[in-house]
Amino acid sequence: MLLRKLYTPLTIVGLLATFAYSEYVVKPHYHDHKIHIVYWEKWTGGEGDAIKQTVNYFNHSQNKIHVDLLTISDIQDKTLLSVAGGDPPDVAGLYGADVAQYADDRAVIDLDPYLRKYGIKKSQYIPVYWKMNNIRGKEYALPSTPASTALFYNRALFKAAGMDPDKPRDWHHGHYTIEEMDKDAARLTKFAPNGQLQIMGFLPAEPGWWEWGWGYFFGGKLWNGSNKITANDAGNIKAYQWIASFSKKYGANNVSAFHSGLGQFSSSQNGFMAGKVAMEIQGVWFYHYIAMYAPNMLANPKTGKQAEWGIAPFPYPADRPDRAGTTFADEDVLVIPRGAKHPNSAFKFIDFMESPKGMDMLCGLQWKMSPLIHNEPGFYRNNRNRTARFFAEQAESKNVINVPRTGIYPEYADALQNAYDAVSLLDQTPKQALDVVQRQIQRQLNEYIQHEKMRLAAEGKSHK
Amino acid sequence: MTTQTAIKNKKSKGKLSGPKYPWLVHTVLILVSIVMIFPLVWLLSTSLKGNQQAMMIPPEWIPHPVLWSNYPRAITYESKELGFIPFLVYGRNTLIIAILTVSGTVFSNSLVAYAFARLKWPGRDLLFTLTLATMMIPFPVLMVPTFILFQKLHWIGTFRPLWVPAWFGGAFNIFLLRQFLMTIPLELSEAAKMDGCSEWTIYRDIIMPLAKPSLAVVALFTFMGVWNDFLGPLIYLTNQNTFTLSLWLASYSSQNGGTEYGLLMAASTLIVAPIIILFFFTQKLLVQGIAVTGLKG
Amino acid sequence: MNKRKETLTALLFASPWFVGFTVFLLYPIIASIYLSFCDYSVLRPAVFIGLQNYSDLINDSIFKQALSNTVIYTAAALPLGLVVSLGLAMLLNTKVKGLAFYRTLFYMPSLVPLVALAILMQFIFNGQYGVLNSLLREFLPFVHGKSWPPNWLGDPRFSKLVLIFISAWGAGNAMVIYLAGLQDVPVQLYEAAQLDGAGWCSTTRNVTIPMISPVILFNLVMGIIGTLQVFTLPYVISNQGSPMRSIYFYTMYLFDNAFVYHKMGYACAMGWILFIIILLLTLLSFKLSEKHVHYGS
Repeated sequence: MLLRKLYTPLTIVGLLATFAYSEYVVKPHYHDHKIHIVYWEKWTGGEGDAIKQTVNYFNHSQNKIHVDLLTISDIQDKTLLSVAGGDPPDVAGLYGADVAQYADDRAVIDLDPYLRKYGIKKSQYIPVYWKMNNIRGKEYALPSTPASTALFYNRALFKAAGMDPDKPRDWHHGHYTIEEMDKDAARLTKFAPNGQLQIMGFLPAEPGWWEWGWGYFFGGKLWNGSNKITANDAGNIKAYQWIASFSKKYGANNVSAFHSGLGQFSSSQNGFMAGKVAMEIQGVWFYHYIAMYAPNMLANPKTGKQAEWGIAPFPYPADRPDRAGTTFADEDVLVIPRGAKHPNSAFKFIDFMESPKGMDMLCGLQWKMSPLIHNEPGFYRNNRNRTARFFAEQAESKNVINVPRTGIYPEYADALQNAYDAVSLLDQTPKQALDVVQRQIQRQLNEYIQHEKMRLAAEGKSHK
Repeated sequence: MTTQTAIKNKKSKGKLSGPKYPWLVHTVLILVSIVMIFPLVWLLSTSLKGNQQAMMIPPEWIPHPVLWSNYPRAITYESKELGFIPFLVYGRNTLIIAILTVSGTVFSNSLVAYAFARLKWPGRDLLFTLTLATMMIPFPVLMVPTFILFQKLHWIGTFRPLWVPAWFGGAFNIFLLRQFLMTIPLELSEAAKMDGCSEWTIYRDIIMPLAKPSLAVVALFTFMGVWNDFLGPLIYLTNQNTFTLSLWLASYSSQNGGTEYGLLMAASTLIVAPIIILFFFTQKLLVQGIAVTGLKG
Repeated sequence: MNKRKETLTALLFASPWFVGFTVFLLYPIIASIYLSFCDYSVLRPAVFIGLQNYSDLINDSIFKQALSNTVIYTAAALPLGLVVSLGLAMLLNTKVKGLAFYRTLFYMPSLVPLVALAILMQFIFNGQYGVLNSLLREFLPFVHGKSWPPNWLGDPRFSKLVLIFISAWGAGNAMVIYLAGLQDVPVQLYEAAQLDGAGWCSTTRNVTIPMISPVILFNLVMGIIGTLQVFTLPYVISNQGSPMRSIYFYTMYLFDNAFVYHKMGYACAMGWILFIIILLLTLLSFKLSEKHVHYGS
C-alpha cells in the first residue's frame, strides 16, 4: 500500500532527475576562469592526435584562453545546423571546398578585420591556399593543413610486369603522358580465372574524391568564374571519354564490381596498398597512410630495401603539354562560425595556428606540407613525410586547380558525380551526360544569382 | 454474395481443421524462415571475423579464429580521440531520450485519448477528424519549420527537440489508444461517478489499469522508434558527445568510406540485440496488444 | 454548472493535444506553406518569390527523377509487401504447428534498426565479395554473361530491386497485424465454406479477403504514407542515390535541398507536393475500396 502511494511521486522524481541529467549532459562544464574556445575538428586517428598535441601546446603557452577540441563527424552539416540553431562552436575545421557556400549563406564571418589587426598577409601563403578562401574579395577562412595531388605508382607491380619500376617518373625525362599511362595500365591489369578483375593498372574512380575535376587535366574548365557554366566544353568531354574507355576495355559491370570490392581508404585493404590498383591519384597525406597501413611498402635503409612505390606529377594528354603538372589543391580550413561566442579569442588561437610554429607542429605532426612560404627552419628537412616538399612544389604549379568558388558547388559536384557514374556505366555518352549537367547547373547558377540579388535587397531593407 | 449471407446465418460450432498438406506448408515456412533469418546469421558470423576473413572470396561461414575481441574494440572504437567510450555515452544518450519520450508518450496520449474516447466536449469530433487527417502529412513537410521553431527556442544541440513533443500527444498513438478505450463499457465510469469518484481517479485507478496491454504496446513501439530514429538526431544533435546509437552507427560506417567490417558488424549487432531481446520478453504482450488495440475500426 | 465543470475537465484532459496540435502541427504547417513561396537559406531573411519554387520544380530534372524513382519503388514495394505479409499471415493461420516460433522468426527482421540493416545489406549485396554473389557463382555456375553476377548496388538496373527486396524482408510488421485480423474471422465461416465444398481459392476469395478487408485498407493507407517517404535505408546505403541517382528518392532530395544545398523554401514546396500526392492516393484507395471493403457484421 505504501509502495502504491509512493509510486506516482517516485515516477515524477525519476523523470525530473532524468530531465535534469539530460540538460546536464549536453552542457559543457568548466572549472577555471579562462575563456573557453570550443573548436570542432573532423580529424580522427593519427591526424586527430596531431591537432590534439598542437592545441595542448597552445593551451599551455598562455593562461587566458583554453581551447576545447571536439571531434565531429560530418562537420560541414553539423556546423551549419549549429549556426542555424544559434549555438555554434568558436572555431570549426571545415573542408576548403565548402567555404564559398558557407560564406554566401552567412554561416561564417569575414576574417578581413582580424587579418588587418594581426598583420596576416596574402604574401605569406602559397597563392592557391589563400585564393581558395577568397570569396567576392573577402577572406572567410585560413588554411590549417593543405594538400596537392600527384600520381602514386606501385613499383613492385611495374617490376613484376617487366617494366621499368619508375617509368611514370622517368619516362621521357619526367614527361609522362596519359596515353602512355593507359598503355601501361593495360599491361598491369589482371583477371582472375572466373573473369573478375583482380588488378587494375589505373582506375579513375579510385579514390573517388576528385570526380568533379578530371576535365581540367584535358584542358576543360567548369565555369568562367562568374555566370557561365562550361560543363560540356571540349576538355571535359575528352576527360569523360577517357573515363568511359576503361569501362569499354574491361566491361562496365566488371569495373564497377571491382571498384565496390576495394577496401576502405584508411586500412591495409585500400586498393593501392593491397596491390589491386597499380596507379592512383592521391594527395600529400598518402605517405603517412602507407607508413601506417602498409609499412612494408616503404624503403628500409637498414636492409637496403627499396620503396615499393613512387610518385610523379600526374600525366597530361600528349596533345596538351600545356597541362603538365595539373594538380588538385585541397585544404582543411579554420573558420569562425557566425554567432560564435568568443570570436576575438577564437582568432587569437587561429593566429597561433597560422604562425610558422603552429604550422610546424600541426602539418609536421600530420606528415603534411605547409601552406606557408616561410616555415620554421628545417620544416621540410625534418618532415617525416619524404614527399612533403614535392607536394609543396606541386601546389605552386601554374596548373593548380581548386573547386569552383560558388555557393552552388555542392549541386555541381553531385551533378558531375552523377554524370561520372552514367559515363562509366556506359549508360550515356560523355556528351549526353555533360549536356545534362550543363543545363541543370546553368539553370541553378542563374537562379542562384537572381536569388542572391533579392536576398541582398531584402537585407538592405531590413538594415534601414 | 448470397452464399456469404448464407454462411453468416449458419451457426455451427467446432474447430477449424489443420492444413490439408502440412508438409507443404512447413516446407514453405522453413524456406521463408531461411531467407528471413539468413542476413541476421550473417551479421552475427561476420561480427566475429577479422577484416581479411570478412572480405574473403568465396565467403567463409564459420569465423576462424573467432574474434570475440571485435566487440570490446567496437565498444571502445575511437575512445582515445573522443575522450569517452562512444558506445556507453551514446547508449546513455539514447536511453535518456527513450525514457523521457516513452513516459511522455504514454502519459499525454492516454490523457488525450481518454478525452476523445470517454468524455464529451464541444468540438471533440471535429478535432478528432482533423487529427486523423494530419497523419497524412509527410514528416518532411514539417521538418523545416519545426527545425526553425526549435532554432528560435535555442533548442538545437540539446535533447529537447527529440522528446518534448512526445509530451503533447501524437496523432497515431491517440488513434490507437482511443480505439481501445472505446471498448471499455461506459457504465464502469458511470458507476464510479455514482460512488463520488472524480474523473481523474476514474482515469488513474480504473481505466488505466485496464488499458495496460495497449499502453504497453504504445510504449514498446515508441521505444523502438527512439532506438531506431536516425533523421531526428541527425538534424537536432550537433555535438559528438550527445549522439545516439543510430547516429553513431551511421557515422561509424561513413568515416573514410567505412571501417573494418568485423567491427562494423559487431557494432550493428550490439545495437540490434537489445531490441530483439526486448521483443523476446514482450512478444506475447505485443502480439496481443496489436490484436486488441486493434485496427478494428 | 455541472455540465460546465464536465466540459472543463474534458478540456483539461485534452489540453496536451491542444498545445501539441497547435505548436507541433498547425504552426509548422502554416509556416511551411508560407516558406514554400519564399527563397530561404536559414541564416538570411526569407524573400517572398510567389510560385517560383513550384515552377522551378516543374523544370527540375533531378526532382522528376527522384519523383519517378519513388513512384516506381512504391508501385513495386507496396503490393509486394502486401502480398508477402498477407501470404505469410495466411500460412501461419492454418493451425500449423510452431506458430509462435515462425511468427517470431518472421517478425525479427522488422526489428533491425534501419541503419544497421543498410550496412548489413551493403555487405551482403557487394558485387565483389558479397555473400549473395558467391552463392550465385556456386549454385549457378552455368550462367554466364557480361553483367553476371550483377554488382547489385552499383548497377542502376538492379539497385532499386535490391531496395524493394529489403522492404519485403521487413514484412513481419504488417504480417502480425494481418494475423490478428485473420484470427478474428469466425471459424464458422470457414466450416460453412467447407460444407459448401468450396476449395482454398474460393474460400480465400469469398471469406478471408472480405472479412479482413478493413485491415488490408488500413495497411494499404499506412503503406502509401510510409513508402512514399522512404529515406533512411537508401540514404545510408548510397551516396546521393548512386549509381546514377537510381535510388535517389523524394525525401532524400528534399533533405539535400534543405540541409545540403540550403534551399529551405524549395524543400517546403517539395513537401507540399508530396502531401498532395499522398492525399490523392489515400482518397483514391478509399474510393476504390468502397465497394470491396466489408465492415464486420
